[in-house]
Amino acid sequence: METKDQKKHRKKNSGPKAEKKKKRHLQDLQLGDEEDARKRNPKAFAVQSAVRMARSFHRTQDLKTKKHHIPVVDRTPLEPPPIVVVVMGPPKVGKSTLIQCLIRNFTRQKLTEIRGPVTIVSGKKRRLTIIECGCDINMMIDLAKVADLVLMLIDASFGFEMETFEFLNICQVHGFPKIMGVLTHLDSFKYNKQLKKAKKRLKHRFWTEVYPGAKLFYLSGMVHGEYQNQEIHNLGRFITVMKFRPLTWQTSHPYILADRMEDLTNPEDIRTNAKCDRKVSLYGYLRGAHLKNKSQIHMPGVGDFAVSDISFLPDPCALPEQQKKRCLNEKEKLVYAPLSGVGGVLYDKDAVYVDLGGSHGFQEPDEASPTHELVQSLISTHSTIDAKMASSRVTLFSDSKPLGSEDIDNQGLWMPKEEKQVDLKTGRVRRKAIFGDEEDESGDSDPEDDEEMPEGDRMENSSSDETEEEEDAEVTSKVYMADKGAKRQRLEMEEDSEIDLPAFADSDDDLERSSGDEGEEEEADESSEEEGSDAEERDNLEPKTIGKGSKSGLLHSNGLSDRLNLEKTMKKAALTTSDSGHCTAEEAFASEDESEGSSSLSTEEKDSEDEALVRKKFPKPSQAVSGQKRASESLIDETSDIEDLLKEEEEYKEASNYSTETSGALKWKEDLSRKAAEAFLRQQQATPNLQKLIYGTVTEDNEEEDEAGEELGGLFRVSQPARECKYKADSLDCSRFHLEVPHDWDLEEVMDSIRDCFVTGKWEEDKDAAKILAEDEELYGDFEDLETGDVHKGASGLDTQTEDVEEEIKEEIDSSAEESAKKKHLDKKRKLKEMFDAEYDEGESTYFDDLKGEMHRQAQMRLKKHRWYKKILKSRDPIIFSVGWRRFQTIPLYYIEDHNGRQRLLKYTPQHMHCGAAFWGPITPQGTGFLAVQFVDGTTPDFRIAATGIVLDLDKSIKIVKKLKLTGFPYKIFKNTSFIKGMFNSALEVAKFEGAVIRTVSGIRGQIKKALRAPEGAFRATFEDKLLMSDIVFMRTWYPVSIPAFYNPVTSLLKPVGEKDTWSGMRTTGQLRLAHRVKLKPNKDSLYKPIVRQKKHFNSLHIPKALQKALPFKTKPKTQAKAGKIPKDRRRPAVIREPHERKVLALLDALSTVHSQKMKKAKEQRHLHNKEHFKAKQKEEEEKLKRQKDLRKKLFRIQGQKEKRNQKSSLKGPKEQLK
Amino acid sequence: MATPAHSLSYAGCNFLRQRLVLSTLSGRPVKIRKIRARDDNPGLRDFEASFIRLLDKITNGSRIEINQTGTTLYYQPGLLYGGSVEHDCSVLRGIGYYLESLLCLAPFMKHPLRIVLRGVTNDQVDPSVDVLKTTALPVLKQFGIDGESLELKIVRRGMPPGGGGEVIFSCPIRKVLKPIQLTDPGKIKRIRGMAYSVRVSPQMANRIVDSARSILNKFIPDIYIYTDHMKGINSGKSPGFGLSLVAETINGTFLGAELTSNPQGQGVAVLPEDLGRNCAKLLLEEIYRGGCVDSTNQSLALLFMTLGQQDVSKVLLGPLSPYTIFAAFEELFPDYV
Repeated sequence: METKDQKKHRKKNSGPKAEKKKKRHLQDLQLGDEEDARKRNPKAFAVQSAVRMARSFHRTQDLKTKKHHIPVVDRTPLEPPPIVVVVMGPPKVGKSTLIQCLIRNFTRQKLTEIRGPVTIVSGKKRRLTIIECGCDINMMIDLAKVADLVLMLIDASFGFEMETFEFLNICQVHGFPKIMGVLTHLDSFKYNKQLKKAKKRLKHRFWTEVYPGAKLFYLSGMVHGEYQNQEIHNLGRFITVMKFRPLTWQTSHPYILADRMEDLTNPEDIRTNAKCDRKVSLYGYLRGAHLKNKSQIHMPGVGDFAVSDISFLPDPCALPEQQKKRCLNEKEKLVYAPLSGVGGVLYDKDAVYVDLGGSHGFQEPDEASPTHELVQSLISTHSTIDAKMASSRVTLFSDSKPLGSEDIDNQGLWMPKEEKQVDLKTGRVRRKAIFGDEEDESGDSDPEDDEEMPEGDRMENSSSDETEEEEDAEVTSKVYMADKGAKRQRLEMEEDSEIDLPAFADSDDDLERSSGDEGEEEEADESSEEEGSDAEERDNLEPKTIGKGSKSGLLHSNGLSDRLNLEKTMKKAALTTSDSGHCTAEEAFASEDESEGSSSLSTEEKDSEDEALVRKKFPKPSQAVSGQKRASESLIDETSDIEDLLKEEEEYKEASNYSTETSGALKWKEDLSRKAAEAFLRQQQATPNLQKLIYGTVTEDNEEEDEAGEELGGLFRVSQPARECKYKADSLDCSRFHLEVPHDWDLEEVMDSIRDCFVTGKWEEDKDAAKILAEDEELYGDFEDLETGDVHKGASGLDTQTEDVEEEIKEEIDSSAEESAKKKHLDKKRKLKEMFDAEYDEGESTYFDDLKGEMHRQAQMRLKKHRWYKKILKSRDPIIFSVGWRRFQTIPLYYIEDHNGRQRLLKYTPQHMHCGAAFWGPITPQGTGFLAVQFVDGTTPDFRIAATGIVLDLDKSIKIVKKLKLTGFPYKIFKNTSFIKGMFNSALEVAKFEGAVIRTVSGIRGQIKKALRAPEGAFRATFEDKLLMSDIVFMRTWYPVSIPAFYNPVTSLLKPVGEKDTWSGMRTTGQLRLAHRVKLKPNKDSLYKPIVRQKKHFNSLHIPKALQKALPFKTKPKTQAKAGKIPKDRRRPAVIREPHERKVLALLDALSTVHSQKMKKAKEQRHLHNKEHFKAKQKEEEEKLKRQKDLRKKLFRIQGQKEKRNQKSSLKGPKEQLK
Repeated sequence: MATPAHSLSYAGCNFLRQRLVLSTLSGRPVKIRKIRARDDNPGLRDFEASFIRLLDKITNGSRIEINQTGTTLYYQPGLLYGGSVEHDCSVLRGIGYYLESLLCLAPFMKHPLRIVLRGVTNDQVDPSVDVLKTTALPVLKQFGIDGESLELKIVRRGMPPGGGGEVIFSCPIRKVLKPIQLTDPGKIKRIRGMAYSVRVSPQMANRIVDSARSILNKFIPDIYIYTDHMKGINSGKSPGFGLSLVAETINGTFLGAELTSNPQGQGVAVLPEDLGRNCAKLLLEEIYRGGCVDSTNQSLALLFMTLGQQDVSKVLLGPLSPYTIFAAFEELFPDYV
């Protein structure tokens, strides 16, 4: 609207940019200068080789096609939920600091303590939910699944840490979110070169992990404990402009990152029974697909639950409404982080902390996040009434009531505004009118219908505030939700406040009365577990209820804003009747107590007439606000009330009818109803019962009634006659469409009605052959004909237009219906107990049975042990899988498929190969990635991800077999036949294996023939050769193994604070043995013993004589005959000397010894002498040489001098030159 | 809290097929209670039991629990497996009863389904095999489930009460369904039909043809009604005759109608002339209703649209049949996961 007065953009005519642009422009026109080499030198670019040309062309095309992605349908709503930014990194890397800096950058607010996700508005169209991810593997897995963007912090001074790689691996398995690396601790580098090197190294490693060119941010250093502003600003810019490719898993599954949680269980119940069923509501933005009410949900780390109720809540952190301006103003930079106590109330175990909203506290009353408003109101109760009156309408009524009721007022205050707003809306009014029409029209025919419609209507409007509707009924405008911006509404509200007030006064009275009634009810029916008026009193004391009240306040205050964003509340409501009321026919009914409670509540309205029914809506919200119920509950309540009414008064049947209908009505139905209503206006009345058919209370009626009779039991067992309805529950199941009143096709006019359906009939103007021909012939044909044709056409065009408009309106209405918030509970079936309880598993169908029923499937996956994981995995060792949203422990069997398709069990996973894994667990679509970790507790320096893979199949008929060899021994051997014993135990067993192939260890193949009578189990077998008695016969068989049915969700989040990473499930046998110090007794046979080898004795080689003879001499054994004894005659006699001779000999000996000694000495001396002489000689020689050298030197010097002199004397001329 | 929250709970046996089929497709277990609980003859009928057996045959790992009286059924679907199957249908209902559900399931099997169904091919309650062949198979083709293996062959005709018919149905499997855009049914260009007679005079068929033509000729000349007189073992066990008509538009929409004589020994004898005329009128009625999918196959088309690509499919339907209303709005949308 305000665009008109904006200045037009003026083109730049000078400067480098303008020049560049001009150049480009010229080039576009092909008038460019001759800079282009291709043009300047065309020969250089001529085609040299056609083959190469083709190749290069192919290559470029290949590269191009590689870049192509399958187009992804963008299903993000107009106002998408915040983007989940996970800040991840090893400890002490600066995650919290970064988050703080980012928040400060975006919102100018400083959060000191960050707990849980923080949602901020980062731009005109973008919100961020920033969450920190620690090093607990559970947390890493869960966050990787929901992350849109991962800021991966890396300590540059240290390098990559295991957590980083683990996280990357988790991401790879669960769909790769956008990952941006952030290098911190860069200031620890002293030298610039070192820094550069480190950056480059880390960058390239990061690229190999993510993708080449992945963005890596550098945070150079800290200033006053914070990162540098400019860097953070740049990072923020990057985050805000980043585009995301939707991930298949995330877009096809609804999920919620809960940013707030409330335990709504009665504290008394918890006190008395610590393991009681809890009622918990969770709040968060819904992401991914649509989430349906009553659907099964999984909370990672907690378990599987059914949603008790879901409702829309106004956006606590809404985007700014005006898109026109350039940037956000301060007021629009919202932060919402309930877990850290920002944007509202901080819930602790035993206290509630109220946040004042930091520096922007001033803006609270009108445009800050609703929580602020609430907070403000809470605070303001301490001021005087007058002050309150003056200051805000919110607190106007708070004086009259305790804290909780203040919210009621609040609610009351807000609602009419919306109403007003609504009144302006024409569309809504129209809708109302429709129903009125319908009532008129169908009123006489069957009374159910007219009851139905308004009720359905209410359901549609539904949601947070019923009081509005009550007002609506009075004002005859059903609509309360404005489709255009909330701003206007607010303005209007301010204007109309005075006008509205009286209306509130009325409603207030109502409120009081109703609450009073309630109190009475409470007294009367003590057994009922509903919290009564005393609950209101309790409100003041109990933080939790205050929280609830605040919640409702939040809701109502935000009721104005039509932001679509959905908050989901999940509550586990063991007590609330609402569930029973709200159940569709398909849903199980709640316990009887609850319905009792509801009935007691409803008794007050029992006597009242139809208006009372309408009015009922009003008091209920009050209760809700007073802390006992949510508005939606109350709404549900009233349906159940109506049921009760029905039980007591037969005449109220119709009412019950519509109640059941509303109870059965889900969101889509409401839309449908509205659509259908529109259709009524627009379309013919020919199919008046179509709508009725669609909403047909029909089968549901029947069922609910039946169930009510059954379930209520006890006090309120009312047997009701089966009501006739259009479709009986046991009607014929036939798809044929029988018409009760067929047309009379003999009549001409009836026949004419379809005549144009045939090719022989009349065609449309533009298709009729005759017409087209005629038009062709005479271009300026009959004027009148054409005119009428034109007119007709125009009319039809108009028709379609109006239809379009109507459709648009309808859509608007639908969207508003979606917006219309609805409160809800989560009714958790049971709570997983901390420890296994024997009595827990008793009875016919327990929770675990249900669980089993849900997860009955066996899944097969292709698995590969992670190459960085140090151990191999063992079959039948429990392992924790992360598949889909779930983390669970199960016992897999590893197998490998043989070439004949047999799935053979493996004891261990192969080292570097894929293998199959079969386990028993939840159903997950095929093609889903998974990862396995062995333990989630404790910390190990090693890589924690044990295996990764993909789900292949969900086949239940998979047969994993293991090899079983049966052995036997022959006890009688004929030629090729042997009798074998010891393989079987009975003839029957043998009979089963007749004809089976057997084999001996030595490889002789054979076949089992027939059993023998004795010994038992022996049989006759034939072989291809004769056996030996020492042979062992064996038969290979395959024995099917069953997959252990073990599924244990990792309930790490149920652990108390601080021990969340200590969850340990089933332990492996190895661990158990270690813990109990049980030593495995190994089979003695399989032990390794020292190998004792006998000395091998070889016999001498014996060559037969004949052979020896034949051999050539060379090779003949040459055995020399041993020297025989010398015969006596040839033996020389011993010489015996005379004493004298002996003396002489001795002397001679001595003399010769002396002589030899002398000689030896002399020789030594000579040798020594020679040595010395040689030395002396050498010395002399050296001296001589030296002398000669000196002499020569002298000589040469003299010679040189002489020459010099000669030169000098001969070259007189150059002398001056030299000088 | 006795019922598992995950499983859906119903009461009464109406729309049993739809519930079981959707349960199988979505993988959610269902519990159906109070099946004819107030009936003199409570519990599941033979034909329903037969249907459940059929489901068991084409799936892998289904768990079916039926209580003593047959009033409660718990069905935990398994994997749609397919393969070659034979099934003896109950003669209480036509083969169409079974075939309709098979049409919904067959494209999503693990192995292509090839099934032999034995029983009653044409009866007064269920859409006959002829009509399904001429109207439902084109719907499947619209969704890209076509090819040579999509076949529905009537080997033998069997009329109630004796039965004895045999039908071979085979269907290829598809990973994804083609989205459809059927908003203009177009004009009817021809009418075809099949007048069959078994164990009665072959002349009956001719008489039917004549009478039917007498009505339809007023609208369009291109009418051809085949006569099919089966003999011997192919004629089943009971006498009977009937007519099925189908009108084809220029845009490939098929609208069908059919009528069958009263089973032997039940009701009064029907004149073939009356039958022909009435059947022609039924066809006219169907044409009057219009739509790009005829009333029998509305739910099939809607189911496939739901299972196909999101947002893109569009179909124009005539007035919704009660069966469709249930199938589409009560079952398909709220609980389809």
